[in-house]
Amino acid sequence: MPKRKVAALEKVDADLVSLQYKIRRDPKSYAQEFYDQWLAYDAQRQIFISSPSSASSEDNKKFHDLVDLVAHVADLYPDVTAPYFDHLKELLTQHHAVLNPDLREKVVGSLSLLRRKDVIDSTSLLTTLFPILISTPSKSLRSLLYTKIVSDLRESNSKATNHKLNRTIQTVLHNLVTSDRTSTKGMWACRITRELWRRQIWTDARPCDVMKEACLSDNEKVVVGGVRFFLGGDKEREEMEDDSSDEEIDIKKVKHQGTINKKTKKRQKAMEKAMEKIKKQERKKHAPHPLNFSALHLIHDPQGFAEQLFQKHLQNTKCKFSLDNKLLVLQLVTRLVGLHKLTIISLYPWFTKYLTPKQPSVTSFLASLAQATHNHVPPDAIEPLVVKIANEFVSEASAAEVASAGINSIREVALRQPLCMSETLLQDLVMYQKSKDKGVVMAAKGLQSLYREVYPELLQKKFRGKEATMGLKSGEVKRLKFGEEQVESGIEGIELLEKYKEEQKLKKLAEKGEDADGDAKMKDDDDDEDGFNSDEWEVASNDSDSSTGWINVEHSDDEDEGPAAKKQRRDSSTAPDLISDEAMAAAAEANRISKLAMTTILTPADLAKLAELRREAQLDKMTGTVSKRRQELIAKHIEDGVTADDIELPAQIGKKSTKEERVAMAKDGKPAREEHKSTQAIRKSKKEAEGKSSTNKEKARKKNFLMTVGKARAKHKRSLVDTKKRLTAHIARSKSGGRRRNGM
Amino acid sequence: MGSSNKKKKEKKKDFNKAKLKVGKAKAKAANFTDTSFKSKSIVVNQHTLAALDGVDLVGLFKQHLNQAINSKSDKLRQEALVQLTKDLSSKPIFNPVGVPNLLTKLLPLITDSVANVRTNFLKLLRALPPSDVAPHVEKILMYIRGGMTHLSTEIRSDTLSVLDWLIDVCPDETVSCPGGWLKTMNSFSSMLGWNPSVASTLSVKGWTSATKTSLNKVSKKNGEAQAKQITTLAKFLEAGFRPETPLPYDEQRYWDSIYRMPTTPNPFAYLNLWGAQRDEDGEMYPDRISRQQVFERKWRAAIKTGVMGAKQEGGVIGRAASVLDKVLRTAEEGGKKVVEEQKIEEVEEAEA
Repeated sequence: MPKRKVAALEKVDADLVSLQYKIRRDPKSYAQEFYDQWLAYDAQRQIFISSPSSASSEDNKKFHDLVDLVAHVADLYPDVTAPYFDHLKELLTQHHAVLNPDLREKVVGSLSLLRRKDVIDSTSLLTTLFPILISTPSKSLRSLLYTKIVSDLRESNSKATNHKLNRTIQTVLHNLVTSDRTSTKGMWACRITRELWRRQIWTDARPCDVMKEACLSDNEKVVVGGVRFFLGGDKEREEMEDDSSDEEIDIKKVKHQGTINKKTKKRQKAMEKAMEKIKKQERKKHAPHPLNFSALHLIHDPQGFAEQLFQKHLQNTKCKFSLDNKLLVLQLVTRLVGLHKLTIISLYPWFTKYLTPKQPSVTSFLASLAQATHNHVPPDAIEPLVVKIANEFVSEASAAEVASAGINSIREVALRQPLCMSETLLQDLVMYQKSKDKGVVMAAKGLQSLYREVYPELLQKKFRGKEATMGLKSGEVKRLKFGEEQVESGIEGIELLEKYKEEQKLKKLAEKGEDADGDAKMKDDDDDEDGFNSDEWEVASNDSDSSTGWINVEHSDDEDEGPAAKKQRRDSSTAPDLISDEAMAAAAEANRISKLAMTTILTPADLAKLAELRREAQLDKMTGTVSKRRQELIAKHIEDGVTADDIELPAQIGKKSTKEERVAMAKDGKPAREEHKSTQAIRKSKKEAEGKSSTNKEKARKKNFLMTVGKARAKHKRSLVDTKKRLTAHIARSKSGGRRRNGM
Repeated sequence: MGSSNKKKKEKKKDFNKAKLKVGKAKAKAANFTDTSFKSKSIVVNQHTLAALDGVDLVGLFKQHLNQAINSKSDKLRQEALVQLTKDLSSKPIFNPVGVPNLLTKLLPLITDSVANVRTNFLKLLRALPPSDVAPHVEKILMYIRGGMTHLSTEIRSDTLSVLDWLIDVCPDETVSCPGGWLKTMNSFSSMLGWNPSVASTLSVKGWTSATKTSLNKVSKKNGEAQAKQITTLAKFLEAGFRPETPLPYDEQRYWDSIYRMPTTPNPFAYLNLWGAQRDEDGEMYPDRISRQQVFERKWRAAIKTGVMGAKQEGGVIGRAASVLDKVLRTAEEGGKKVVEEQKIEEVEEAEA
């Protein structure tokens, strides 16, 4: 009998990984083997539990491997492994502090593996992991648990929102924050909520409620976590969304590679995957944008919240937060006040103390003050603050930056509440446009142009400007009163749309007229047809009727009579417009305008045009050329917060940039140059990195000299006849497509 | 001439000034040492640098102990075990760390991957005094159970030798400690493939079923292994069913057991006051009757069918199986006797 040669096989059998593989291939046949290992696992577990802290490394390793094996095949033998989850749970909750780090990681991983295999549900997994996350002193375990928890929440919300689970976890987090307000444990609630908010998994009011409670905590860290969420959570969410759509696949490249490369199953799969991804992206692009409210809008009872926040962390003299954190809280409070137009009167006197140039990061305070101002704040509350800013910051003696920051902050406040200013103060401030420093001049001019627009009466006559003076004379500019709201009747700017439509029509008609004169009659018909159609598409349906009012052409007539009828209609609509008086009666005008909204349905295109026209009109109102900064200011929504940068901006004007800044600016957008290399070389390496091939010319240039030298020599020695033959053959070849064939 | 030219150049090279080029790294010096590599482990050739002259015996013992577990080289582990055995079997016994510490450290060696280490470990165990082993039977049994269902057949059979030793040394503790009876039975049945619970979990329905698959294919070697398993099982059952001989009445001992401090560790283990709650498998079965009852209920049928099969195979296995069969039969008779006695007692009580 030959010698048995299965020793190698047996050796292979003796490791758990291959056993796992076999079990998964054929669970029924390997039940016995699994049961053996299950018993071994059980024995090992008991050894471990009998002395968890002093387990030897050997035991740890064995136990680690067995836990791994059982976790991977637990779904195949549900009856045997029924107590497995409880074992792991007990092990982790009782001994997580003394467990060997590797083993601990394996246990956590096995738990989430069980979840992925659907052996346990999310709730039981999360309720196991969460208490440990809060209580464990180990940093690595915390980060592991955190990622597992977040990924599980993501996973279970991936197909459809799992409301039940979300509610459970949100309640747990809420309780965590509210149960012990002095501990740092609330940080975890903040972190988890923020992460899930960023990923748009939680978008409703409940997570906002958790964060609200975090803001009202006693612990500085937790408060900062909550406040930062409200100040930056939404922006983070938007950025995340932009990022995710960034990674695009070059479909052209993928297709091209498919034609060139060898066709293997793997490549084909990769290609299919890429196509699928592209399709998904397309679908995503066309899908309606998810309507997500910002966290600030979802807060329940903003007035109460802002008041509490202010009283607890700012007004309270016992509160010992650092200045930076206090500023963050202040930003949130003022943001809420500005956004929801809340009234917290005690907030404004509180500011007084901080409005001096020597106060650290005073620009943030100024920005917050501007943020906290809105048109419902009584001018009496703000006026002393404005006066204080003017006194402290704006004087000939103070530095240019200080003065410009002061004036600019006053402008920001006045933008929101123009009544905060007395006439003399404004005159004084406006006079600073005669200053030497450019920043101060710009700030003062900004203030002046603001008041020209909103409250010109307060300015001296010589500063009012043409528009404002004329407006005052004609009574178009009305006197401001506190508490007065401008109520729009009808659609704002509808008259602009009306005017635009008329102009368009006139233009079109003029074009058509020219066409009709120049072209033959046959063509004219077609043109008319086209013109009619495009008319219908671009502007609302029955335009001619609404503009003229008294000519009524029925559609049935239209169809019967054909071109003749159209001709007539065109004439009738043109005539009154051309003749129409420029100064029409105001009453008639109003009548006509109101009709547009009533008689036609405005299409989305119309509405977009309306918004555009409104913006243009606003721009046109300003005299002269409109600066870029001015445009930005108009575009900026008044609800957006004010930052310290906004206040500091004018001081930057006219300053020279340093060399580093200029170098950085010049380098921006140019290829990175780690080493000394020519531009050509950089381009070439970039091309190579992208996987593009070289040209024939490049290949010829690179070819080894010895490979070409023989041919070159032979060419040299050819006879004349031979040379001629070659040349003619070359010409013939290039004529027939440039390729060599047999015999050519 | 080429070679001399080359040599000339080489000679000159040392005295040439190195040219520095823009964009090129500076040439490395001749005596440059590359320290950029990283290593996860460092190989040390010698394990001890200090020359031990047998001065510090305790230190030496401890060092051997550490080597026996931690050393990567199997030779070293084996030698360390030999040394330890020598120390333990010397008269008087030299054991500075004590049996409990020794056992906790060395027990993982039951499933060591090298055969020589395992056999030497068994020798070491045999050198231990039986009275010192008795308190640690539960712990030893845990490791034995872990080894009994190990993937490798060699380790399994070596573990059985350890179990043999344990039954020889302290039979009563082995079968009566918590988990000692049913859990060990579990491991035995799983090892032999006589397990009813596996079949039921799988719920294989149909008229065919693969008997024993894959890893333990029937071969000559395996046959011997199985015979050994059956013999050990017989030994284990015999220990479990051994009729307890009542101790002759001793007045001193009687009063001691009531009023004196107990001399054995954890004398109230059966109450399980501080440990985790035990399930049926992990429970202690301190006396013969309870052991027998549980065996009748859970294992009798399975073991019997297994024995029948094994007997039919004949050869070594068959012989071992008949030994086991004999044990079972005597146990059955004993059991019946016990039941009858119980019945009589009950009847007497009822009459009284």
